[in-house]
Amino acid sequence: MTTGLTEERATRAPAPPPRRTRHPRMSRGTEARGAWTLMAPYLVLLLIGGIIPVGYAVKTSLEKAPTPLDPSSGFGGIDSFKTVVTDYRFVDTFTNVFATLIVWLPIMMIGIVGLALLIHASPGRFGSTMRFVYYIPGALAGIANLVLWVYLLNPSQSPIEGFWHALGIETIKQAVATPNHLPFILTAMMFFQGVGSWIIVVNGGLNGISEEVLEAASLDGANAWQLAWHVKLPIIRPWLGYAALMNLAYGFQLFLEPQLLDQVASNALQDQWTPTQLGYAFAFSNYNFPAAAAMSLILLVITLAIGLLIVFRSGLFGEEEH
Amino acid sequence: MAQATVQARTGRSRRRGIENWSAGRLARVVTMLFVAAIFIFPIVGFIAMAFRSTEGVEAGTGGFLGLGDVSWENVRFSWSQVNGFGPDGGLFTKWMLNSLFVAGGGAILALVAALPAGYALARLRFRLRRAILLITLVTMVMPNTVLVIPLFLEVNAIGAVGELWPVAIIMGFFPFGVYLSYIHFMTTMPRELVEAARIDGLSEVAVFWRIGLPISKQAMVLVGFFAFVANWTNFFLPLALLSSNQDNNTLSIGIQQLIGASPLFNPTVAAGLDVKLYMPQLALATFLSMLPLLIVFLGAQKFLIRGETVGAVKG
Repeated sequence: MTTGLTEERATRAPAPPPRRTRHPRMSRGTEARGAWTLMAPYLVLLLIGGIIPVGYAVKTSLEKAPTPLDPSSGFGGIDSFKTVVTDYRFVDTFTNVFATLIVWLPIMMIGIVGLALLIHASPGRFGSTMRFVYYIPGALAGIANLVLWVYLLNPSQSPIEGFWHALGIETIKQAVATPNHLPFILTAMMFFQGVGSWIIVVNGGLNGISEEVLEAASLDGANAWQLAWHVKLPIIRPWLGYAALMNLAYGFQLFLEPQLLDQVASNALQDQWTPTQLGYAFAFSNYNFPAAAAMSLILLVITLAIGLLIVFRSGLFGEEEH
Repeated sequence: MAQATVQARTGRSRRRGIENWSAGRLARVVTMLFVAAIFIFPIVGFIAMAFRSTEGVEAGTGGFLGLGDVSWENVRFSWSQVNGFGPDGGLFTKWMLNSLFVAGGGAILALVAALPAGYALARLRFRLRRAILLITLVTMVMPNTVLVIPLFLEVNAIGAVGELWPVAIIMGFFPFGVYLSYIHFMTTMPRELVEAARIDGLSEVAVFWRIGLPISKQAMVLVGFFAFVANWTNFFLPLALLSSNQDNNTLSIGIQQLIGASPLFNPTVAAGLDVKLYMPQLALATFLSMLPLLIVFLGAQKFLIRGETVGAVKG
């Protein structure tokens, strides 16, 4: 995924005369001191934005939640984790995420691979224009994408009102809150918003395939299908693994879409449809901070496991020593 | 199709009549155009919506995507409604300024932190280097929302919930920017160059400042751009940290309030308001919230095209 920049850069890099000799007075101590000085601003932000909050969440999760009857807090052991796991909504929220992922991931991956291969088979201006067009919805991230979808989902003024009427749907509440609709709507929303940037990532991998390989395959009589299936796909497998895992992790953080779709559907959805919404409710509806911390740690462990898998197994983050 | 591909690839693509296209090529082009249409039409209709009138939308006039209904008068009316929201009006403008503050401040912090850190990780040897690199990579690929509740607890502990500055500082933590800078220095600054500079008597910090930084314009633009976009569109962090203070909301959570105040979805709340926020007004607010992104995109465009493959890693 770094090939694009690497190639660009390689041609523009200044080429100093190679001097292999080490400066005799250069000690590792000076080098390390310089490194820590340069790292300092980032390390401070890493502490504030990553390490301290996680540590504090661990501490909070082990506290006792104050109740009206017993307003004292104090060490509560794993009580808050029990509260979370035994909450009647806990299992449902994960079921909902899995239901969404089962619909979304295959469609997303087929879309990414299919469109990236089509673009790669279309060199020149047409291909790059299409790649840009597919990327445009990605610019409407977050809340903007949501408002756009409110426009599409509301049969009273939607440009696809015919589609909704054909399904017998007259209001946005029906469109969103009819049982089992939500995973499909979320899939459509996230596909629309996300497929373009993943096409660019996978396209970067495809562009790294050398001309010789493709020409050799063509000379051997491979047609476009065989070329895509037997030559291109195996080569870009690391990028596809990366895309699949990143999108999998993304599924566990779903918040904005279900939260606001509930709002436009007159609260007809479950208020806590995803795990992140449940954590938010613990913090901001129940003011049970230990439970909120426990919930976010559970999600942290899941996404951390996926993150480690990405870093160590995707094969994209090997150290490139030059 | 393979033949056509190879021809175009070698730069010898001759213009031929469409009757000579193979079925495969035709299918490919038609498929791609069809997908493009699916992506473009909703956006055109949505932007047109920002220029339409509520009456026109209700009556269904305006023809295809409502394009016949657009007018500048509609925009002026919708703007008066959008910016009239709030006890004394003008909240939308305030949200815009708040968003500029946290997204811009966060992007500047991200830049200040990411470039030296990326340089040190790429070119200097020190204890814990691999550990910090690993933490950076893992935090980069994890969705940042999982940390929002812990961050809320942290900010709550120091009593700063509802203030803008903690949000800007937290947004300054941008591991993807460090990774971009790391790759940048790995590929543009050979070790030999660093050693030559040391022999010339420069300190480690001076090597970065005098040699590394001047060749890093592209990395700076990329880090700044991606940080700004990520901050601008961030929803969950401002929601947790800022929604308690209406004056300090950002646009993303402000638009949520506008949706909540629309008679389309919440007639009871909307009945008590002076402003009427129907779909054209919501679309206009969204459209305006996208303009700063459009501006930074145009500013960063030529750098993005060069580095786009790297840029899209965390789309």
